[in-house]
Amino acid sequence: MTHLDPDRLADRALGNDDPLTAAEEKHLDSCAGCRDELAQLSRIAELSRHPEELAQVPADAIWRSIQGQIASQAPAPARTEVAAKPPPSPPTVTELPRRTPRPRSWLLAAAAAVVGLIIGVGVTTVAVRDQVEVTSSTALEALPGQTGQGTAELVRDQGRPELRVQINAPLTPDRYREVWLINTDGQRMYPLGVLPDDGRATYPLPPALAGQLQGFTIVDVSIEPYDGNPAHSRESQVRGTLPT
Amino acid sequence: MIDDARLDPEAVGEHVDWRAATESELRAGFAQGDEACLQEVFRRSAPLIYTIAYRALGSSTDGEEITQEVFVSAWRARANYRAEKGSLSGWLIGIARHRIADRQRARGRDLRLVQAVTKQTDVQVQPEALPTLIDRIVLTDEIGRLPHPRGRILQLAFWEGRTYPQIAEQLDLPLGTVKSHARRALLHLRTRLAEVTS
Repeated sequence: MTHLDPDRLADRALGNDDPLTAAEEKHLDSCAGCRDELAQLSRIAELSRHPEELAQVPADAIWRSIQGQIASQAPAPARTEVAAKPPPSPPTVTELPRRTPRPRSWLLAAAAAVVGLIIGVGVTTVAVRDQVEVTSSTALEALPGQTGQGTAELVRDQGRPELRVQINAPLTPDRYREVWLINTDGQRMYPLGVLPDDGRATYPLPPALAGQLQGFTIVDVSIEPYDGNPAHSRESQVRGTLPT
Repeated sequence: MIDDARLDPEAVGEHVDWRAATESELRAGFAQGDEACLQEVFRRSAPLIYTIAYRALGSSTDGEEITQEVFVSAWRARANYRAEKGSLSGWLIGIARHRIADRQRARGRDLRLVQAVTKQTDVQVQPEALPTLIDRIVLTDEIGRLPHPRGRILQLAFWEGRTYPQIAEQLDLPLGTVKSHARRALLHLRTRLAEVTS
């Protein structure tokens, strides 16, 4: 005999009064599959008789804290505040692009890069002071929800590439700041080091970046908790893009 | 899930009214990282997740914290979500289950500490197993979503203990129709439960 019709098993599980035929009973006795099916349906019928009403969820409050957490997650090297559409509530930063960004994201990234180029201060200004040559610089601007400003200069000190950062921005005692060079592809970044509380520091650059920065043109200053986690906290305070 | 059509992510775009989105559109939008889509997923699934956490841990504070954690970690791990593999609510419940178990273990430790300190060894009442609790909550939710008159028939039969003849009379339906709805509804519940909790 073929397996029992699910409808028949459902009837049996529901305790309907259409009894199984002798042939059906016989099949059930010998078929583990149908018995298992019946057991599952019977269990569901039994559990369904003991409802557990959904509780009233304080949805608004929970959603706000979720938003707060996911908004402070990622630096937005490719989609900066100038390019992104206005967020519903001010996030501290926007998202890192996904692994396979859509064309739209790349458009935004390109737009951001262009804007970065325009707002970049002192395009390829070359100043010589004490054999320190400033090859490019940018203003550092506060991200949405943050305050502060500053400058970043790419310099050559006796031929060695360095990044000079100077910012003026508030900081609470339970946090420190770190300086990063982020690639315009939004996927890669180098930590340059801790920024002292006075907001001024000079960092040697990895040698391979000395020439064209290899796309690592976004200077990002993050606020870091003392959690021993070497990754970017996803909370950026100020940011700017060096003109290339 | 019945509908496993995979949408072209581009087709989902940024102009979708997520409130009207189908489950498969939501899955695609979520995997794609659309925050407005996350909000809609939250709107639809938060009551379920919250109720599970609240009932399992017996505390509204824990319920709120777990709910928040579940959606934040789901969002962070969205690259791991495979839309073709299962329902979003099932995935969220899976995350919730781990978080709840973590807290229950931590509480067990606390309790053993207290018992050790106070030399009190009373056996505590064994709470309902988490999988059973989750199934009951999911089933209640699903019965509430059944279309009329199927949902009403099941509520009368399961929750109010009516017989099928009584239900047939109350809803003015043929007895055979009532039984057929009940049967179909049970099979549907079985399918949904498998999708959500497997």
